Amino acid sequence: MTAEILSLKSVDLTLTSRAGPVEILRGVSLDIAKGKAVAIVGPSGSGKTSLLMIMAGLERQTRGSVIVAGRDITRLSEDQLARLRGSEVGIVFQSFHLVPTMTALENVALPMELAGEAQAFERARELLGEVGLAARVDHFPAELSGGEQQRVAIARALSRRPAIILADEPTGNLDGKTGRQVIDILFRMRERTGATLVLVTHDDKLAEATERIVRMADGRIVSDTFTGVKPMIAAR
Amino acid sequence: MTIAAGDRSLAQANANGLTIARIGLRELRSGLKGFKIFIACIALGVAVIASVGALADALSAGFARQGRTILGGDMTFSRMHVRATGEEHAVLERLGALSETVTLRTMARRLDGGDQALIELKGADIFYPLVGAVEIEPPVSAGGSASFKDAIAGGGAVADRMLLERLGLKVGDKFRIGEAEFEVKATLKSEPDGVADRLTYGPRVFLSQDELERTGLIKPGTLVKWRYAVQSRDGAPVGKADLKAQRESILKALPESGFTTLDRHDPSPQITRTLERLRQFLILIGLASLLVGGVGVANAVTTFIDKRIKVIATLRSVGASGFEIMGIFFVQVFVVAALGVAIGLVAGIAVPWIIDCFYGAALPIRAEFSVSALSLAVAAAYGLLIAMIFALWPLGRAEHVKASVLFRESIQPITGWPRPSVLGLIGLMIAALLAIAVMGSEPKSLALYIAAGLTVMLIVFAGLGRAVTLAARRLPRFRRPELAIAMRNLGAPDGLTNSVVLSLGTGLSLLVAVALAHASLVNELQGRLPERSPDYFLLEVPKTEFGALSAHVQQMAPGSELTQAPMLRGRLVKLKNQPVEDIKAPPEAQWVLNGDRGLTYTNEVPEGSKVVSGNWWPANYAGPPLVSFEADLAKKLGLVIGDTVTVNVLGRNVEATIANLREVKWESLAINFVMVFSPNTLQASPHNLLATIRLPKGTTPASEIALVRELGKSFPSVSAIRVRDAIDQFNKIFEKIMTAVRVAGSVTLAAGALVLAGALATAQRRRIVEAVILKTLGATRRQILTAHAIEYAFLAALAALVATALGAIAAWLAVSRLMDITFTFSWGTVAAILGLAAFLIALFGGFGTWAILRAPAVPYLRSE
Repeated sequence: MTAEILSLKSVDLTLTSRAGPVEILRGVSLDIAKGKAVAIVGPSGSGKTSLLMIMAGLERQTRGSVIVAGRDITRLSEDQLARLRGSEVGIVFQSFHLVPTMTALENVALPMELAGEAQAFERARELLGEVGLAARVDHFPAELSGGEQQRVAIARALSRRPAIILADEPTGNLDGKTGRQVIDILFRMRERTGATLVLVTHDDKLAEATERIVRMADGRIVSDTFTGVKPMIAAR
Repeated sequence: MTIAAGDRSLAQANANGLTIARIGLRELRSGLKGFKIFIACIALGVAVIASVGALADALSAGFARQGRTILGGDMTFSRMHVRATGEEHAVLERLGALSETVTLRTMARRLDGGDQALIELKGADIFYPLVGAVEIEPPVSAGGSASFKDAIAGGGAVADRMLLERLGLKVGDKFRIGEAEFEVKATLKSEPDGVADRLTYGPRVFLSQDELERTGLIKPGTLVKWRYAVQSRDGAPVGKADLKAQRESILKALPESGFTTLDRHDPSPQITRTLERLRQFLILIGLASLLVGGVGVANAVTTFIDKRIKVIATLRSVGASGFEIMGIFFVQVFVVAALGVAIGLVAGIAVPWIIDCFYGAALPIRAEFSVSALSLAVAAAYGLLIAMIFALWPLGRAEHVKASVLFRESIQPITGWPRPSVLGLIGLMIAALLAIAVMGSEPKSLALYIAAGLTVMLIVFAGLGRAVTLAARRLPRFRRPELAIAMRNLGAPDGLTNSVVLSLGTGLSLLVAVALAHASLVNELQGRLPERSPDYFLLEVPKTEFGALSAHVQQMAPGSELTQAPMLRGRLVKLKNQPVEDIKAPPEAQWVLNGDRGLTYTNEVPEGSKVVSGNWWPANYAGPPLVSFEADLAKKLGLVIGDTVTVNVLGRNVEATIANLREVKWESLAINFVMVFSPNTLQASPHNLLATIRLPKGTTPASEIALVRELGKSFPSVSAIRVRDAIDQFNKIFEKIMTAVRVAGSVTLAAGALVLAGALATAQRRRIVEAVILKTLGATRRQILTAHAIEYAFLAALAALVATALGAIAAWLAVSRLMDITFTFSWGTVAAILGLAAFLIALFGGFGTWAILRAPAVPYLRSE
């Protein structure tokens, strides 16, 4: 039996809007085993990204419990959450979210600097080399293409060798070819570090490359399928 | 054919211009978001300039309209010591109705000798006042006659209420002036021509001229001022030129009279000059705040253009030329600038009205509300020129945006220089700005100095911002993540460094300069006095009584030091045989030529003086009259040894040759004069002495009061002025002026604060995103807060330090070169200003960071 690294029990998320309360997530329970790659799919507004945000501790659930890497994050303060993310969780966004005033190298080194790692810049340089950006280390985000920015973001997400990688539509802002290259890098690096990957995507083909597909609709999990594939091979 | 083609292209250009304007105005539909700081910056600066102009206009208008009342007639002729002769009377009467008044400074005493006070005594003839009325209270007699003339008849006096308070008297009580007793018949409510008199030290007391004779104070040599007010005959021309011609005709008819003359068009040249100087200075300070605000304008326009990059690219893609794109955005920025100017003008016009409502009584004259179009036009021109100078650079770069950015996900900031014609236009506008500033300033060099100073300041701070950015990028990486983040923020290409350093630095520099100049002046006036200065000046000491007086003082306060000098007053009428009216002296030396000056004679070089060229006359010199002139003023008036000066003293012209030049330490407050004559020139003239007393250390206030009281009893003609009181009187006026300067200076800092707030607000969204990303990567709030605190503290400290240095240099230049006094560096002042900088940055930065830390992460992380 594999240990669970992510465990959600009866999670509700209700947000208030001008029109009244909106139920974003309703009684979501989900356990994800360590080292697995899981895709979360579903139509727009089904609650995929919200679920991911809750796993990252960026959004607080209205009800239910969330255990991340063995810790009940509902009890953690903002700063404890930040430290947990720094050590255990790497996040890749659809819109990359690099710090615009920092170079590619500085962006990748940032989480390691925050954690006080001595070799932050050496490691950042290595990581950028691994994602094929050795020649672009001193470029600012505005000077990089979308695909390049996303590769920087992946290097940054993996820089602290997190146990969990949360990726929100990582190819959503990229063209097909660039998207495939980025996914290739993401899967390859994940496999090497043995991290758990939770991938939110619209793309069914991409989802089928993971070991498990969780389908959502209207804030609920409607299906949960184990594909049994080896993600690395499937991604190719 | 050519003409037709020209017409067509003109028509085309017009149509083009209209189209550009139309598109520009349509674009403004998006509202004024992002322009609020722009508008506030311009409105603030324009409001300062407009309000200073409007207040000066209101006071000038008041002066012009009330000139006749303030002067007490259409013209006046006055001189010291000598009353007009019958012949002079007859000549003056040719112009119209004549009234004679005499003023002197003397002491009023209680009958029991218990107390005494310095007063400004005025003897009025039966015609006084020719214009306006002296208001008194209460009515004089049971018969209900409230007339001023009745009140001062038959041993009566009208006194300022302040005198009654000082001597503990009430209406109906008697008191003593000189050798005579008077009864207070009424108190003075207002005196029509009070403003025209020079700086006064004591309350006014009115007597009739006949009664004044009884005091025994009017003797040859007493420092009295005889003044003749003339009311022109009905129908006689009273225009500026007419009155000037009439005044000149009198001086021509009475060449030896030595009269100082004025007319209703400028009843107090001293006040006019002071107001004009203050107006110019405050306008220049307002201009400085506009310049600081210009940085806010530039920031706002840069942000505006950056946000419109896609719009510009779209316009490009549908065929707009670079020129048309600039035109479209120029129209919008111009409308916004005009709005700022309009708000500033309205506020500026309201300020004098508000000041009059609350502080009307403190103004030297009643303000009248007629704002001149010129004042408003100047303020509007300054506002529009500065707005456009600072807006044109970012506007000029808008044409660099290419249509291809529409196909890109991320947008790079616009770089590069505007085209040469835009740079030329900026240059022209700067020249126009400088021309207006120089034209409105006297001396012209003042505006140039200040413009140069402001330019240096802007360049220094712009350069400093750039240097910090570059240095922060080049520094080795810090281990501590907070420091590393702070350094990266400092070095970020479009970070806050430039805006913060420039806005905070310029505002603080001006404040430091004003504060240190003020501190130096205060120090000059107060700090050195206790060491050297006398405690009392004694006026009108009869020559024959000085020995007795000195013995008296030594008996009551042994160890006192007394000095004395003969004191006459006379007026310079010619320099090198040229009438002073024809001499154009530099403003800082003009005062010597206006009105009467103290004159003395001595065999010795006076204390506090040093002969710097020429020789002092021998002890028993008996040759042609010689004079020693103050060296600095002689230089400004173009006088050298051997030149002649002619003074009118006691109604005769005396010509003397300059034998030597002296350097005088005026601040020592020892008796000193611009002109010191050889004794044979003046000693035969009737005159009194001016004396000083320096009391021994440890003299108690009680024994001081007793001494002065005793002197008053024994020497009734002698007036004692306490030096401390005289300085306090001066300080009060000086403080009012400095308050106005400080308010104007603070406005510059307010402009700086606006720019700072604008820059921080612009950066706020980006900073929130950055903080959210940092949080997702594991940064704690403390780390983010610390990084921000380091960044802001560094910027504030740097801006404040450089501002202190620049402000101190500016103050040093102003104080030691322009005002010619010793510069004093005041740590307290600087500490207060550094504290202010810390407070401002903590306020704005702290508020911003608080908002950043509170911002929820999700809305910024979800893809739009």
